[in-house]
Amino acid sequence: MKLWQGTIREIRLGPSGRSAWIECPPQAQPAAGQYLLGWAFEDEDVPLAAPVFPAAFADGGFLAAAPIPKTWEPGTALILQGPLGRGFDLPVSSSRLVMAALGDTVERLTVLLPQVLAGGCAVAICAGCALPVLPPDVEIYPLDSLAEVLPWADFVVLDVPLSAFDRLKALLASPLPPGQVLVETAMPCGGLSECGACAVQGCRGPKLACRDGPVFSLSELAVFAG
Amino acid sequence: MPKTDVVYSPPVLNAAGMLGFAPGTHGPVDLHRLGGFVTNSLSLRPRRPASSAGCLAFAGGFLLHTGYPNPGLIRALRQWAPAWERSPLPVLVSLLLQDVSEVVPMLEALETNPGVSGVEINLPSGAKPSDLLAVTRAAFSELAVVVRLPLDRAERMVQGIVNDLLEAGLAAISLGPPRGALVNPQGRLVHGRLYGPAIYPQNLSVTHALVSTGLPVISAGGVYSQAQVAELLAVGASAVQLDAVLWRNPGLVL
Repeated sequence: MKLWQGTIREIRLGPSGRSAWIECPPQAQPAAGQYLLGWAFEDEDVPLAAPVFPAAFADGGFLAAAPIPKTWEPGTALILQGPLGRGFDLPVSSSRLVMAALGDTVERLTVLLPQVLAGGCAVAICAGCALPVLPPDVEIYPLDSLAEVLPWADFVVLDVPLSAFDRLKALLASPLPPGQVLVETAMPCGGLSECGACAVQGCRGPKLACRDGPVFSLSELAVFAG
Repeated sequence: MPKTDVVYSPPVLNAAGMLGFAPGTHGPVDLHRLGGFVTNSLSLRPRRPASSAGCLAFAGGFLLHTGYPNPGLIRALRQWAPAWERSPLPVLVSLLLQDVSEVVPMLEALETNPGVSGVEINLPSGAKPSDLLAVTRAAFSELAVVVRLPLDRAERMVQGIVNDLLEAGLAAISLGPPRGALVNPQGRLVHGRLYGPAIYPQNLSVTHALVSTGLPVISAGGVYSQAQVAELLAVGASAVQLDAVLWRNPGLVL
């Protein structure tokens, strides 16, 4: 784990809440699905650093997906730990990709769109939350349509709160294509101590989202087995 | 003879559960700014994460419910004893007792490890003052014996037995996080350990009270600044443990 200094350059208000453009060294930029733990020098009373995931990339920094801490404003100086965890690793051969978000944002998935659309991949998004402006090539479906859309896909990427795994199982009526899932859960130690607060049930024993994830292959997690 | 006059220099350590099972394995914490390293808590038998493990925020802190996952003492020794021996810091192995009878076999497993300078013993839940005294007496060994008591129970636990504890060879009492409960977003009541700046006033009060009894005290709970470390040492703490501040900014060891 490395430490970096970053600065908030811009705050944006979008359908998922407040996001922030963070200026930071290139080595600090997390890949899609990875995260940083961010803390502002001014936030003396904040007990923990906040996880930030990329929603978009640009030279000199990245857009941190909503939500971000309420105290972060343009000019806020940050200490950034990371990049942490395991991010998305999409197969280059994928040509029909389904993205599905069960939480409050799709931004942790739509960060993949420039890469996959440039590769000629067709994309369908299933979500129940408000959506940002998306490229016209992307097809949008309600979350309840996930089981109908999945048979079309050769790869699926999911963004699921750990608390929503039961709901996910109810939505997955059909056999799954290969895929990956970003498990959204609190990761207070960022892998520093293996505290266990982010434990996820794996097929071969517990996994830690902070260190072993937060992106897992579907085949790794017990919720997708059988 | 047990070591009872343990001095940590500087008088700052990490709290159990904050920096993993061995020093030097995780990144940016400058270990030279600590006077000792406390391992994650180890039980005699392996423990898996709690089925409802999580972290819930409240004003001024957070609740942690983890189940104390660990591979068990014997496997931990195989995996980490070499790192403990290489440690530039004295290593206190944190032990989690399910039953007071476990203290003897656990200490026997640790005593011959050259990398271990002491143990920090966490009593079983619901332990009484008589259990604290029994564990301290049973833990008679070459190692420094620190017993960790939750902030919300520490004063009651030592009442009336301070001299007995010191005669039994107790090196220090350390303070552990108090317990509380919150309702999670799914509507379930979750019990767990409390951390955060909101805990500090309770820590300062309990540290002062325990020091007044004559006990050596390693203070812990809600410490987020050098000024707070100085305050705790000024009221008589022998050393101070840092907990969640190490997760917030691991490069800024106070």
